[in-house]
Amino acid sequence: MKKILICILLLIFSLSHLIAQDTEDQEVKVKDKPVRSPFESGILIDHQTSVVPVEKTLQFVIQHKFGPIDNGRTDLWGIYAPGANVRLALDYVVAKNVQIGAGLTKKNKYTDFNLKWTIFEQTRENKVPVAVTLYGNMAIDGREKDAFGTGKVRVAFQEDNINDFKFVDRLSYFSQLIVGRKFTDWLTLQTAVSFTHYNATRVTNVQVPDGRYIHEDHDKVGLHFSGRAKISPQTSFIFNYDVPLKIKDISEQLEWLDYPNPNLALGLEIATSTHAFQLYVGNADGIIPQDIILYNHNDWTDGGLAFGFTITRLWNF
Amino acid sequence: MKKALNTLLLSAIIIGVSALLVAFVSPQDKKDGGAWNIPAKYKEMKNPHSDDASLMKVGKMMYSKHCKSCHGSKGLGDGPKASSLKTNMRPLNGAAFQSQSDGVVYYQSFIGRDEMPNFEKKIPDDEDRWAIVNYMRSLK
Repeated sequence: MKKILICILLLIFSLSHLIAQDTEDQEVKVKDKPVRSPFESGILIDHQTSVVPVEKTLQFVIQHKFGPIDNGRTDLWGIYAPGANVRLALDYVVAKNVQIGAGLTKKNKYTDFNLKWTIFEQTRENKVPVAVTLYGNMAIDGREKDAFGTGKVRVAFQEDNINDFKFVDRLSYFSQLIVGRKFTDWLTLQTAVSFTHYNATRVTNVQVPDGRYIHEDHDKVGLHFSGRAKISPQTSFIFNYDVPLKIKDISEQLEWLDYPNPNLALGLEIATSTHAFQLYVGNADGIIPQDIILYNHNDWTDGGLAFGFTITRLWNF
Repeated sequence: MKKALNTLLLSAIIIGVSALLVAFVSPQDKKDGGAWNIPAKYKEMKNPHSDDASLMKVGKMMYSKHCKSCHGSKGLGDGPKASSLKTNMRPLNGAAFQSQSDGVVYYQSFIGRDEMPNFEKKIPDDEDRWAIVNYMRSLK
């Protein structure tokens, strides 16, 4: 798996070099500019998009998911329900198309640090037909150490011994390659492949014949699809779909007994000069992407839906 | 104790009534922005996209996103944020605004002053800025 990822990265770097040279040659003739706002914000519900604001822009992100709607009117369809999640984050654009950020999430007391780099932007004359973006983060699970399972990489398949717990067991990583295209003035779609790794994972409720409870996998490859369809200059329908792939080669499970569910979220976005407001309904209670890929056991068809919103605010310096 | 409470209540009533009366005598009108000091560079600036009709759609999209919340959908200065501004906005369809050159409109729209914010970083592409100027021309 690592070899494949290294090959993909090398390919991107070499393509980047080729296209850069091509662009330089043709700059003298006609400058092919990037397409206008393929998305209105760098975040689409809980996905990253290829959009990185101009240099020296500070972005404040508020992401909130209410509790599940399965109690209906009693919990006002999730607004009064327990299980809400929230993330507050700040991102800063340090160079053209390079953004760094950090965020705090309520679920698992995650603190995440992230980096996004849009390597190519799609251009208006189609010289570069797609936008290609790399995104990566590292999250620290800040809960008490007795909240962790035994699924540590260092002591995998051994008996519980909480004294073995180290800081590194709190860490998880997510890396993603995003390819997107603005097809028309109103339609933009993107797809992505991701790799998630947790140094320690939780114990599930599933018991195997020898009496032990299985752990979640430490590694997952995910596929992601998202898009927006504009219905007015400021309003769009938006969606996200995340699928954790069942790959036996990297799984620690002998059979798929408690596999995470795909996440589907549908919503509406309203964008202004400096804000994007996104209201949606989806079935993941996590907000950071590795949590959605590894720990989402909510089901669309079984009361797992929840309302949520994402708000971004930009300041230019 | 009761006397102290009465005094406190009386003071609060006097302050409240005074504030109400002051509100009535204070000027309610918004202030006029005054004449713009436009640098010569912008006065002489030509619109390189003045004949590009294909930019009208872009201009409308950009205007809706960046300008409409204050200037209103037809440029009358009646957007939802307009009431919170201290400065009076000239209607964009009026002769006073439309008689200015494209370069002056460009300066007023994207460089700005006081409550009219600078949009150079929010709209970094020059072509997009001229698209908005063209769209504002269509409001007359």
